[in-house]
Amino acid sequence: MSSRRADIGVFWAAAVRDIIGHMLETEELRKTFGTGKVALDRVSFAVRPGEMFGFVGANGAGKTTTMRIVMGVLEADSGEVRWKGGPLGFAERRRFGYMPEERGLYQKMKVAEQIDYFGRLHGLSPAASKKATAELVERLGLTERTKDAVEALSLGNQQRVQLAVALVHDPDVLILDEPFSGLDPIAVDALAEALRERARGGVPVIFSSHQLDLVERLCDSVGIISAGRMVASGTVDELRGAEGRKLRVIVADPKPGWADGLSGELTVEGGREVLVTEEDDDQRVLRAAMSAGRVEHFGVERPTLTEIFKEAVA
Amino acid sequence: MNGLLLVAGREIRTQVRSKAFVVGLVIMVLLVGAISFAPKVLGGPDSYKVGLVASERLPVWGDTKIEWKDYADEAGAQRAVLDGDVDAALVGGTRVLTDGAIDDQLGLLLQSAHREAQIGSSGVKITPLSMESVGADTRYQKTRSGIAVVLVIVLFMLIIGTPMMVAMGVVEEKGSRIVEILLTSVRPWQLLGGKILGLGAVGMINLVAILVAGLGGALASGLAVDFPPGMAGIVVGVCVWFVLGYVFFAALAAALGSLVSRQEEVGNVLTPMTMTMMASYGVAFYSVKEPTSLVATIVSYIPPFSSMVMPVRSAAAEVPLWQVLISAGLMVAGVVVVVLLAARIYERAVLRTGARVRLRDVVTSR
Repeated sequence: MSSRRADIGVFWAAAVRDIIGHMLETEELRKTFGTGKVALDRVSFAVRPGEMFGFVGANGAGKTTTMRIVMGVLEADSGEVRWKGGPLGFAERRRFGYMPEERGLYQKMKVAEQIDYFGRLHGLSPAASKKATAELVERLGLTERTKDAVEALSLGNQQRVQLAVALVHDPDVLILDEPFSGLDPIAVDALAEALRERARGGVPVIFSSHQLDLVERLCDSVGIISAGRMVASGTVDELRGAEGRKLRVIVADPKPGWADGLSGELTVEGGREVLVTEEDDDQRVLRAAMSAGRVEHFGVERPTLTEIFKEAVA
Repeated sequence: MNGLLLVAGREIRTQVRSKAFVVGLVIMVLLVGAISFAPKVLGGPDSYKVGLVASERLPVWGDTKIEWKDYADEAGAQRAVLDGDVDAALVGGTRVLTDGAIDDQLGLLLQSAHREAQIGSSGVKITPLSMESVGADTRYQKTRSGIAVVLVIVLFMLIIGTPMMVAMGVVEEKGSRIVEILLTSVRPWQLLGGKILGLGAVGMINLVAILVAGLGGALASGLAVDFPPGMAGIVVGVCVWFVLGYVFFAALAAALGSLVSRQEEVGNVLTPMTMTMMASYGVAFYSVKEPTSLVATIVSYIPPFSSMVMPVRSAAAEVPLWQVLISAGLMVAGVVVVVLLAARIYERAVLRTGARVRLRDVVTSR
């Protein structure tokens, strides 16, 4: 019995080690700019291997600053970024893939050459870099454009090249600042798929976005940052949990005052009375509704990330 | 090291493939090639044709060649003079026919030869004066000045132009934030060093092509026989001085360039450097005419001015090797200081995008 318990203990210790062993964490990052403006105030979060972490916040909230600190482009005043449980240095960052906020590509350089160049800079051998470039070009649908200068490409295609530059060395971690901005829906799907694939391969993926529906759809967890502080983080469901579950009920031509015994609000939408309630006993609500008339709609109202976000930063 | 070479390789490939590089190189090569032909075309003739009517050939000596041509009568010789077949015609050993006033040099030559012939016939033998210079060897003065002028222009263009490309490259990377990606995969010194190395190689290609064109043109036109002794030393010296001057100014240009984020600001931020270059250029140009003057001598020791003045001075006049070595040693010291300083500035400023970074902030901060 006791040996079995020991086994379980070993198992859990190994599992925890394994997760921490590939986790990217920030701890209490602080950054104040020269002007005295506090950019980051104790920002902490952790991204597990294979997890997609959506970073949301208003303009100037500190998303880019955080990502730049993680990438070593900017130095934090205090706090730490850890990778696999240890400090993060140049050699480790060299294995990261990064897409900065303002797109950085050599405008006059040809597409394939550019991807290959960054592959080499990240330490790939000439052959490996060529191979990775060819694969990415094909997967991102740039095959026809390999010999074109970047400046001749559409914004969407430039973004693909930028992504290819971040992916070429098969990075251990992906940090992408607004990767979806300015893309059409099809390009968004293509990019989302590319990121999911990396995450499935066990890579922690962090990206920032203002497209909250997209973040909600893609991400395993979300961090909401406001004025330099991480105001909420966790899975979308966890964030919803804090909000409480709501029921939404619509009854056709109900008896007046049918919802008097229930908490919540009765509003009128498009000529219909809609009840939104936080009652725990959904069956009681349903019975009340049925006795009031024909129930047209009865469902759990899940707050969208947009609502959670607005609530969190309010 | 690998990162540095990768960066350098990209710079070289990008430049060499650009139209501006190819066109610029072709123009420079043609220009310098043409200049080394020009003295032969524009300079005075060193041979004359003289017609003879009932006259003996005169005993002309020296470098100037005279091609004699006999005519049967004065009328024939006169026609030849007017048609330009001959430069002058000697009639009966006493009169010279010309079309307008006679060429000064030919006139003197004929007069003295005539005198010598007259005296010689009376039995007196004349030993020509032997000429000896007790001052500096000025035989090659013209050629030396010519070479120096070309060097001033070439060095100025390359030493100002190539660092300018370094600065523009730095700002391109900073402004577009490529530098943020680059610096997660290479160290700042690799990025900066690679850029300076790569563009320096491009400048060197330019310089060597120009030197080859100039020397080739001079050999083909026969100008090369007038080259002063130690021409090989002058050529090697120019290459060494270019490298020193280039590295100095390129490091400076990169450091200053890293302070700004927009191409439009490059010219402005580089002003102190361009002023220094213009000053070097001014003194270098002055040294062509007055290579032994006090100003030229002093300035040829002061880095970075020496990088332009010393090669010009040693082309325009003979400069003892020890002087060149001292000047080069000082310049190397200057280069080391500037490179270290520039690396420090670059590393701190290149990631600070946005408004222009103040030099004081990056030099004094931690």
